[in-house]
Amino acid sequence: MTGQEPPRNPSGDDDPPPPDTGMGMTAVAYLISGMLVWGAIGWLVDHYVGTKGIFAGIGAVVGIAGGVYLIVRRLGA
Amino acid sequence: MIEQSLVLASEVPFPPSVEDFYLPSIVPWGAHDSYWFTKITALMWVSVAAIIIFFLVTYRKPQLVPTKKQWLAESIYGFVRNNIAVDMLGKRGINFAPYLTTLFVFILLMNFWAIVPFAQISPNSHIAFPAILAVISYVMFIYIGMKHHGGLKYFKHALIPPAPWFILPLLIPIEFFSTFLVRPFSLAVRLFANMFAGHMLLLVFTLGGFAMLNANIWFAPFSLVSWAMTIALTFLEFLVICLQAYVFTVLTASYVQGALADEH
Repeated sequence: MTGQEPPRNPSGDDDPPPPDTGMGMTAVAYLISGMLVWGAIGWLVDHYVGTKGIFAGIGAVVGIAGGVYLIVRRLGA
Repeated sequence: MIEQSLVLASEVPFPPSVEDFYLPSIVPWGAHDSYWFTKITALMWVSVAAIIIFFLVTYRKPQLVPTKKQWLAESIYGFVRNNIAVDMLGKRGINFAPYLTTLFVFILLMNFWAIVPFAQISPNSHIAFPAILAVISYVMFIYIGMKHHGGLKYFKHALIPPAPWFILPLLIPIEFFSTFLVRPFSLAVRLFANMFAGHMLLLVFTLGGFAMLNANIWFAPFSLVSWAMTIALTFLEFLVICLQAYVFTVLTASYVQGALADEH
């Protein structure tokens, strides 16, 4: 197979990457990171303000929203 | 047969624990409290030697009509080059094909020890090995990104998504976390956890068979079922071994792709 030429039409930078090449992982990573990062920041705010988890909850939801937005911008068409 | 099994069974600890992954030293001198050379170390060196010798021997006298060995080596290289490197990185993928092939073959062989009789543990079930491989991929994709985009511009490219300015404070921490913290961690842990769990599963079913036999001789049929499960799970392990080697390689290529990507 080394004798073979590489595929005639390798996906250049302009083409969309072939399906399921790490994009699924990237999407999951964005979702989880979004939730963890902003959840953690919310948890810290909770800690300072003295509330019991309300900011952590808000942070997690906002983080997921951010993650979804990033997936759409980075991976979407 | 059953008496033998019983003798064996009385020595078998059950359930298996993390201790079972820390094998004793196999050098004849200073064996006590010395972990410099265990089966894990030996398997690693054997893998490295096997890969080097295999590719040197098969490529020493390359022929137009390949021999069987040459065909095998070329197929492996061709698979990684065409189906992973060129597919994901385009023309530049050919530059990365040698590293990706090495990575793929090394992980595949290291994983494969998990189901080779008498070896039966993969060095990758210790997190040190996947961690070092992940660090190599991590440093590589950052270095390539910095080289491609020019120093700190890479970080600007990686951290700032195309979005209106007022959402950026929300998005940049997520980008930083997912690109620079989660990636190496998930790469290492995915491979390690798969190999660790695989070994643990095989241990549970093998030793469980002995444990049941030991507990009550009437459990013998269940022991047989347990050992049949071991055989079935060995085939499942084979699948996991190939899949994880492939996934690690594909993700490394995908990170390099992300580092090389221009604005779109």
